[in-house]
This record gives sequence, structure tokens and C-alpha cells, in this order.
Amino acid sequence: MSLLELHSINKTFGPLKALSDLSFAVGHSEVVGLLGDNGAGKSTTVNMISGIHRPTSGYISVDGIRQDFANRRDSAEAGIETIYQNTALVDCLSISRNIFLGRELTDRFGFLDLRKMRDIAMQVLESAVHISGIDSPDKMVGDLSGGQKQAVAIARAVFFKRRVLLLDEPTSALSVRETEALLNQVLKLKAEGVSSVLVTHNLYHAYQVCDRFVIMSHGTKVFDVAKADTTIEELTQHVVLT
Amino acid sequence: MDRTVTEMTHTHAAAPSRSARDWLYRLLSMPAGAILLVFLVVQLACILAGLLFPDDFRYLSSANMGIMMRSVPVLGCLALGAGVLMIAGEFDLSIGSVYTLTAVIMAMLVGLGVDAFLAAPMGLLVGAVIGLGNGFLTLRFNLPSFIVTLGGLLFWRGAVLLINGAVQVRFDPNPVFNALLSGTILGINAAFIWFVALCFGFWAVMHRHRLGNHIFATGGNRAAATAIGVNTGRIKMIAFAIAGFLAAFAGILATTRVGSVQPGQGAGLELQAIAACVIGGLSLRGGRGSILGVFLGVMLIFTITDVLLLMRAPGFYLDMFIATLIVAASIFNHGLDRRGAES
Repeated sequence: MSLLELHSINKTFGPLKALSDLSFAVGHSEVVGLLGDNGAGKSTTVNMISGIHRPTSGYISVDGIRQDFANRRDSAEAGIETIYQNTALVDCLSISRNIFLGRELTDRFGFLDLRKMRDIAMQVLESAVHISGIDSPDKMVGDLSGGQKQAVAIARAVFFKRRVLLLDEPTSALSVRETEALLNQVLKLKAEGVSSVLVTHNLYHAYQVCDRFVIMSHGTKVFDVAKADTTIEELTQHVVLT
Repeated sequence: MDRTVTEMTHTHAAAPSRSARDWLYRLLSMPAGAILLVFLVVQLACILAGLLFPDDFRYLSSANMGIMMRSVPVLGCLALGAGVLMIAGEFDLSIGSVYTLTAVIMAMLVGLGVDAFLAAPMGLLVGAVIGLGNGFLTLRFNLPSFIVTLGGLLFWRGAVLLINGAVQVRFDPNPVFNALLSGTILGINAAFIWFVALCFGFWAVMHRHRLGNHIFATGGNRAAATAIGVNTGRIKMIAFAIAGFLAAFAGILATTRVGSVQPGQGAGLELQAIAACVIGGLSLRGGRGSILGVFLGVMLIFTITDVLLLMRAPGFYLDMFIATLIVAASIFNHGLDRRGAES
């Protein structure tokens, strides 16, 4: 049974048809590349899986159980974490406060357990995410580089035991070295049983780490293939020509 | 306050210059570090001058201290509310008018025979509800709060004249109420104690509580906070309500102190409150700042006002000094913001 599955999803925004009859699945410990040119409907798909948009028809299932995400918290509870291009972090808060934002550790009066949050943040940053330059969880996120910010977002996902990471154009703002580190991180998480959906139009980055590719065009799936059965040339053709 | 300074100066002198620079750098990179430094220097200078020229510069006289403690809390409470709202990323220009309106309502109720202990909470409630109204209009129609509350400023100013006319209202509460809000405890003015207590309360809420974390996140990056599951609309509503509530509380303090309400008394206070916040290091774009900064911003405005009064400077110097302070503080804070954005 697939971990995450989309069942013939349609989505319209008024007269605009954003997605039509889109179905695909993400297996356990699998990295799927969701590819397509600009405007193919990738971002709408991501927003749908993370609960920001609701499908007009069709549905999403996790572990075969039908889900109805009304907001991002619902998808997070089902084990899905979305990491956006402009990662959803607040620059003027520290790393540890960002990791726990919206899920703060508090006493029963709502006061923050800053020490515990700090200790856990430090642990997660040391053990789960290996991006250099983050030496203290008290650092302001605004002072971090693009790669470090994504590392913090991933650390957040790891700590909250997400099973699927949705990475929306994760490499577009990163340096070459940071991109390498991020892709390695995806593979490392896969080894630990965390699946990822890599949404990108950079086929080379996707080809490096993905087990399977789903190519979208004009709001629907046009190609779905395992890495072993295809080549980067064939993928390029499908992205460009459809 | 002076003892702290001397202690720090001692460690300063003893340590090698390298760590002194580190220490200074760390102080300046604290949220309210720069303003704290300025405040301590100004205080030290005033205290020294007061000790050296006790006859010409009566800074340390108990009369002067009493005046300071009585004048700080009104603007202080307004600035606290304005500051919390600014951190959440919104403005409230109507707090000066709300401050007058709620005071007039409370004084009229007491005049009609309602007990002050009942009338005051009603004033606070009106303040909070007006704040919620500002928030509702801002969020529902997606307007800049600057415009909505500019409307509020004029509307409620007019409403005061409508319900009361242009005459002053006497406020004559029971003695217990008077003692609680404007009495003196151990030589310290009760209103000042209220203000300091509110500062501690809001420090705990803003810097140590989940709500404050969400307020900072909402003002700092609303899209991110929403994406992570923070109900930013609700957070902004709470911040608007706090601003209205504290404006009403400032109205109660002022009215109890003076014993009457002037219908025009709130004009310009909203800008002074925002000025205090800016001097205290709050960013106009939201998400940055601290309660300590607001406190120090207010204290600094009054210390400088006080110094100019003690030196018998003409009133216009006062405005010019505060103007300079605001612009200088913004230039400094803008530098910090930009450095944060670039690195």
C-alpha cells in the first residue's frame, strides 16, 4: 500500500482549471520527483497535499485512509511536512523558536519551556541535519543562509517525525554546495524511512536522488516512470514537449 | 540604576579591551541594547549633574522624582499597547482618542452614581471592543491599519464631543479607588507601580509565553506563521484588543490623577506612543522589538523632557529633541534590520 496517494484529483479556481484527473502515489522510503515546466500545476499540487487548497473532486489518502485536509495542521498530523522555496520560517525568531513555532513546549499556563526547546533544537541540529555554520539554536533565522534555513525547516520535520517531506523548489535559492548537502540529506532521510517528494524543474537535481518521476503538464500527469526505466534525455523530452 | 552602571564600568576597566569590545558588541546586538546604553548614560549624566549642582539642577529632588513617576505611566501604558500591536505588524492611531473616550465614559458613569470599580472595567471593555473593531475592519477588508485607525482617531474624537460636548467632566471616585490608582506606596506613585507591573506582565507574555511567540511570528513573517499553523488573524485581533485595552487603562490612570477629563486631552498622544516604541527599537514593519525597549523608550522621552524643563528650556526644544531622537533611533535600527537581511 502506498504511503501517500492522490486519487483523480480535479481543482478549479473559478473558470480556471488548475488540475485535472491527477493521480499518483508515493511509496514508503521513496523519493519521487514531481517535474514539469512553470505553470504545470506543481505548486497547486503541493498546496493541495499540504492542506492549503482543497480538491474540487477526488481525494488524497495516507496509508490507504481517505484524508480531508482543511489546513496545514491536518496534513502535518497525517505526517506530511511541506518545505517551501521561501521556507516558512520567521527571520526575527531564533532557530529553536522557529522549530517549535505553532507547537511550542509549554507548561499548562502556556509559558514556554525555553531550556527544553533549546536542548532539543541543539540535538536535532547536531544529529539529524548536517549543515555547517549553525553552532547555536539561539541564532536568529534571519542571519542564516538559504541552505541553513532549509536545514532548519528539515530539522523541524525530522523532529516532529514526519513521514513525507514535500520539498517545493528546494534548490532554487541554494549554492552548489548547499544543494549537494540538501540532496544528501534527502537520501539520508530516505534510509531512515522518510519519503520525499521533490518538486522542481531542475531535472539534474531530481535525477540525482529520485527513485521515480512524475511529470506534469497543464494540470495533469503525462508521464510516470521509475528511474531504472528511463534516462534524463527521455525525461527532458517529456517536460519540454508535452 | 547608578550602581549597575558603576559596576559595569569597573568590569569594563579591568577586562582587556578585546572583551570590552565584545561586551559592547553583545550589548548592542541585544534587542534593546543600544537604547539601554543610551538610557544608562543619560541617567548617569543626570545623576552626576544632580549631585554636583543640587541647587541648579534638581534632578534628584523628591519633587522631581514624584513628577516623573506621575507623568510616565499614562504614555507608558499607551506605548505598551501600541508596541505589542506594532510587533504584531499593525498600527493604532486611534489610541489617543480611545484614551479620552473611555475616560469620559467612565467619568460620566461615576457622575451618574455608578461605582468607580464598576465604571473602570466598563471603560476597559469599551477600549478593548474598539480595538477589536479596528482589527475587524483591518483584517476583514484587508486594509492598512494606518488608514482604519486614522478613521478611528477622528471618529472617536468626534464621538467624545457628541456624547459630552466640549466641557470637562469631573471624576470623583471613592477614596479606595483613588488610593489604588494614584496614591503613594512607600514613596512610590501607585500609577507608576501599575505601569511597571504591566511591563513585567507583558514582558512575560511577549518573551516567555506562546502568545508572544505567535505575536512576534505574525509580525515578522505572516505568511510563514500562517503556513506553520498559527492563526494570524486571531493573533492580530488580540493585539488590537490589547492596544485598545491599555489605551483605556491609561485613560483611567490620567483621569484618577487629575480628577477630571478634558475632551481634547488625548490629541497627539498616539504619535508620542509610537515615537516611544520607535526609540525603544521596535521595527515599523513588525516582528522586532522588546518590552524593555518600550519601557526605556518611554523613560527616555520623559527623562529628556524632564532635563529640559529643569534647565528651563523653552517648550519647542522638547519637540525638536524628541524628533531628533526618533530619527536617530530609526537610522540605527534600520541599519540593524538591513544587516540582518543582507547576511
